[in-house]
Parts: sequence; C-alpha cells; structure tokens
Amino acid sequence: MLRLCIVSKEGLMTGRLVAIVLAVAMAACPASAQEKLTISIWGGNWRDGANEAIAQEFTKRTGIAVEFITGGTMDRLTKAKVAKGRPEADLTLTTSHVAQLYMSDGLFEKLDLAKIPNLREAYPIAARSPYHIGLYSYVYTPAFRTDLMPQGFEIKSWRDLWGPTLKGKLGLPDFDPSHIIIAAAMLSGGSAQNWKVGIPLLEQLKPNIKAFYQSDATSQELMKSGETPVQVLLSINAFHQSSQGIPIKIAIPKEGAVVGIDAVGISTGTKMAAAAHQFIDLALDPAVQTKLCEIYKCSPMSMRAKLKPEVANLPGIFTSPEQWKENAIVVDDDIRAKSLPEWKSWFTENMTR
Amino acid sequence: MPAVTRRTIFFGLAVPCILAAAVLVAALFYVFQYSFFKFIPGSLDVGGLTFENFLRLEKPVYLDVILDTFLISALTAIFCLLLSYPVAYAIVRTSSEGLRTFLIVLSVTPLFTGEIVRTYAWILVLGAEGFLNSVLRAASLSPVSLLYTKAGVVMALVHFSMPVMIVLLATAISHVNRDFEKAAANLGARPFTVFLKVTLPLSLPGVVGGAAVIFAWTMSAFSTPQLIGGGKVLMISNLVYLQGFSSFNFPFAAVLSLVAFAAAIGSLALFAPLAGRLERKLSGR
Repeated sequence: MLRLCIVSKEGLMTGRLVAIVLAVAMAACPASAQEKLTISIWGGNWRDGANEAIAQEFTKRTGIAVEFITGGTMDRLTKAKVAKGRPEADLTLTTSHVAQLYMSDGLFEKLDLAKIPNLREAYPIAARSPYHIGLYSYVYTPAFRTDLMPQGFEIKSWRDLWGPTLKGKLGLPDFDPSHIIIAAAMLSGGSAQNWKVGIPLLEQLKPNIKAFYQSDATSQELMKSGETPVQVLLSINAFHQSSQGIPIKIAIPKEGAVVGIDAVGISTGTKMAAAAHQFIDLALDPAVQTKLCEIYKCSPMSMRAKLKPEVANLPGIFTSPEQWKENAIVVDDDIRAKSLPEWKSWFTENMTR
Repeated sequence: MPAVTRRTIFFGLAVPCILAAAVLVAALFYVFQYSFFKFIPGSLDVGGLTFENFLRLEKPVYLDVILDTFLISALTAIFCLLLSYPVAYAIVRTSSEGLRTFLIVLSVTPLFTGEIVRTYAWILVLGAEGFLNSVLRAASLSPVSLLYTKAGVVMALVHFSMPVMIVLLATAISHVNRDFEKAAANLGARPFTVFLKVTLPLSLPGVVGGAAVIFAWTMSAFSTPQLIGGGKVLMISNLVYLQGFSSFNFPFAAVLSLVAFAAAIGSLALFAPLAGRLERKLSGR
C-alpha cells in the first residue's frame, strides 16, 4: 500500500525549516511500501508452507511485505537471546515448549488477545500462554516401513516398541527424547511429572535402538534407507515420505500419540506489534488454517477449519474435541521446557552407550 | 616516505597478532566463566556460581566419551598417516607428470566438497543396503554393520582428513635432500633400507606435524561422528552440542568445551617429546 504524504510549503520562511518539517513529515508518514514484517521460522517446507498459506494472504490484505529469516530451533533461540530488546524478527514461529523459553527469558511480549478475535474459535489448547499462541499441531508417534517389517506387523500400543521383532531396528530423535520418555512413564503407570517410574522400561528398550536421528532430514534418510525401519517420528515427515512412494504406516497407539504444537509469539521490542497481531489473527482464520494444514498435513487449531477428507482422515490429524481427548497426549509446555534438559541428560548418560 | 625499520615491521605484525590473540583469549575466558554458573532448567539465564558442573564429569559416561574421543582421534591420525604417506611419496617422486597430476587431483578434490556431503557419501557406502554391503553380498560374503560404529566413524574421518595429511607429507618429502638417498644407495643400501633409514627419518617433521594436526582437529570433529555415529558414537563435540543446544545447559556445555580444549592442548604437549624420541630412534642418534 503506497500512501502519498503531501506537505504544504506555505508559510515556510527558510530552507532549514523546510528541511525540519520534511523530516518530521517523513517520519510521521512512512511509505507503507517500506513496511515489512520479519518472521523467524524453520527453513524448507516450513517456510514455504507458511509463506503460501499465511504470508501471501497477509500481504494481499494489508500491503505489508513479509520476510522470513530461517534457522534451526536452537540457533534462532540463541540469536533471539543475543539480540534481546532489538529483535531481528518481529514474530517467531517455534515449537510450543521452546516458545516457553522465549517467554521465560522475556523475548516475547504479552499478546493483546482482543486483537486476535479468531482465537475465540480455536481449540482451547491453542492459547498456550498469554505470550504465545498455537497455530497447528502434529504428533510424534511410532511409524514403520511395511515392506521391511514382517507381514502382519502392527503397532497398537507404545509397548509394541519393546517387542523382540524390533531388535536393532528402532530410530529415535536425539534432540528430544521426551516422546519415548513420556510413553515409558505412561506404560509404567506414571506421567511426564513422575517420569522416573519409566526408567526400568526405558533401559529395556536399548537393544532395540539402532540409531538416534538429529534432524528431520536424518530421520527421513534413516527411514528411506531402511536403516531404522521403525521410528518414533514426526507425523508430517512420515506423510511427506509416504507421498514420495515410501511404504510407511503411521500408528496411533491406544495410549495416544505425543502432540507437538508449533506456536507463534511477538518479539519484545518490535516496532511492528500491530501488524504482528494482525498476522497471528490471520493465521488462525479458518480458511488460512485449512490451507496451512492441507499443505503441512497437520491438525488445525481453528475449530472451523474444514480439511479435505483425505487429509482429515490421516492418522494423527485431530479435527474434533473427541479426537483430541482420545488420541492426543499433551504435555504442559512449562513442564516440558523445565524437564527436557533433565530428560535429555538422562537419555545421553544412560541410553546412548 | 619514512624508512621501514625492523621496529615498524615488528609493531605492524605484533599489533594485529595481539588483537587476534586477545579476541581468542576473551572468548575462552567467557567459556571458562560460564562453566561456573548454575544451570536453571526452563530458562536461558544462568544462576549463581557453582562447582556442580565440574562434579558431573564424575559420571562414567563422560569419561567414556573423552576416552572414545582420544581413541578415535589417535586411530584417525595413525590410519591417515599410513594411507597418506604412500600417496604423498608417489606425488613427490613419480617421474610421470600425468600420474602426479592425477594423484594431486584425486587427493585434493575432496577438499572442495563439504564435510556434510562427504559424510553423507559414507552413509551411502556403509549403510545396510549401501555400496560396501552390496559388493560383499555380490561376492557371497556376509554383510558388515559399520554404520553407527566407531570403525565407521574412523573410516569417514580418515577419508575426511587424508587430503590435508597428503599435502603436509608431500611438502615434507619434497624437502628431503635426494643426495643423501643417492649416497646411501651408492654405499649398497637396498631401496627399502634407503627409505627406512634415510627418507623416513628426514621426512619425520612432516609425519609428526601431520599426525599432530590430524589428531588435534579430529578431537573437535562434530558432523562426521554425529551422522555416521548416529548418536551411538559420541565425541566431546557431540556432547557439547547435546548439552548446549538440546538441553540448553550451556554451563555444562562450557565445562565439556574446556575439557576438550585441555585434552587437545595436553595431548599436543605430550606429542613433542614423543616425536623427538621417535625421530632420534629412527635416525639412530
């Protein structure tokens, strides 16, 4: 949107005064063409999906250009901490429990929920905190290569990962062991809070673990090459590989799948807070949510999003309160953010050797 | 135009040198300082001063990783030396320009592909359905499991380091005065004896330097053990990453960084007298 600022020269007696007035006028009426909302996000499909579903529509509606800066979860967090108060990005999209760290370190500013009316039509789980809003969800759940596992092999419970058929076949994420830790705790009658009850079970899992993957790319590589034909993985990665012709079956165990939520927060110190609120509200718009979740193959946060049946029926996609209740294991962000270092350390010290 | 004095040259070189050293020391000091702060779970900020981070090193897993790092670095340096010396020797001593060019291109080209690309190539070679196992199966032999093992990590690291070792050794061998070799041959020494008694001892500075360089840089290897080790083979850098960037425990990551730094400096300090002794033994002094 290009706005013209007309300044009258009438009454201006000196060149110096003209210069001052022009400077003030230019500051007061910045050309909208210069306005730009900078968003920190992961690269690749994540950026492309957000651009196609949200950013293009945002620019169309507001005239404000969107620029993405990309990087890994922790790289971006570290950069945000270093730039505290003078943020490089106006908005940050990250995993919800990591957003908790942004919040606890004062890197996110409190949201004005009145400016995000679409939040009223979102599942209550979308309101992660007064500082960050969930935009979509996915699950970390067991999945396996149907062509590399015995005929009739199924995973109906997390307990099946401990079966002898899986010896030396299982791949797990090394950057976040919370899914298997929570599953082991639940199978042992505990939960994320008292996860240690699952330790004996976790130790029994060691012979089945072939490798730990470090990123989405290595997860996909291990699955594609068949090195780890069974993985606890991000459902979105499995859908992506499945669409490329790799025979992968995603299981939703009877105990449920561990939900991950990607959330958005506004950087403390941004000069684009109003536009940032507009962006978040648009991201929760039912039509935008539908488009976004059909690109990512994820669960929308808007209750009014209507996904195509072929997407809505995929395992791990939740489109009703009942599905959320029956199939989702949701861990509180604060518990997860505070426990993850302990889980991670325990995992490194006890499971990798 | 003022004359350039030795004093001018000294200050012209010393000032940038001191500035560069100051930056490195400041960074190191920052890491050192961080290692004494208390880690607060769920926060990026750190708490008060503590020795707890150092006490965690008592856990066997950390000693195991440190020992594995030494072992992998030493094996990489040794295999790298054994495989690179013949190549470097051939590059320097061949009379065929074509062969020399071919060997140089073959040796140096890998430097132009990144570490990640080379490591991924090794995943394709060492994987269960990879090149190596396909060859073994075709030869009716049992497949081997090298991915996610120390042996696999060492193989990939040796390949990664060989170009540098070849360059260092070729430089050292090219400085060996051939008159000494000719004199030994004229006195009746067989070619292998000439190599063992003359060429090898005279090229020893390059051997020692190359081994030290490869050992030290393998100590800080990250991507190769990360990808080939698949989280089952950990070196100190991988632990630093896991603690700092997965657990957000930067104070303990700082402790591990200091351990890696001390280990590298300490082992290089031990290297010099050992190398001196070896040199004396080989040259018969």
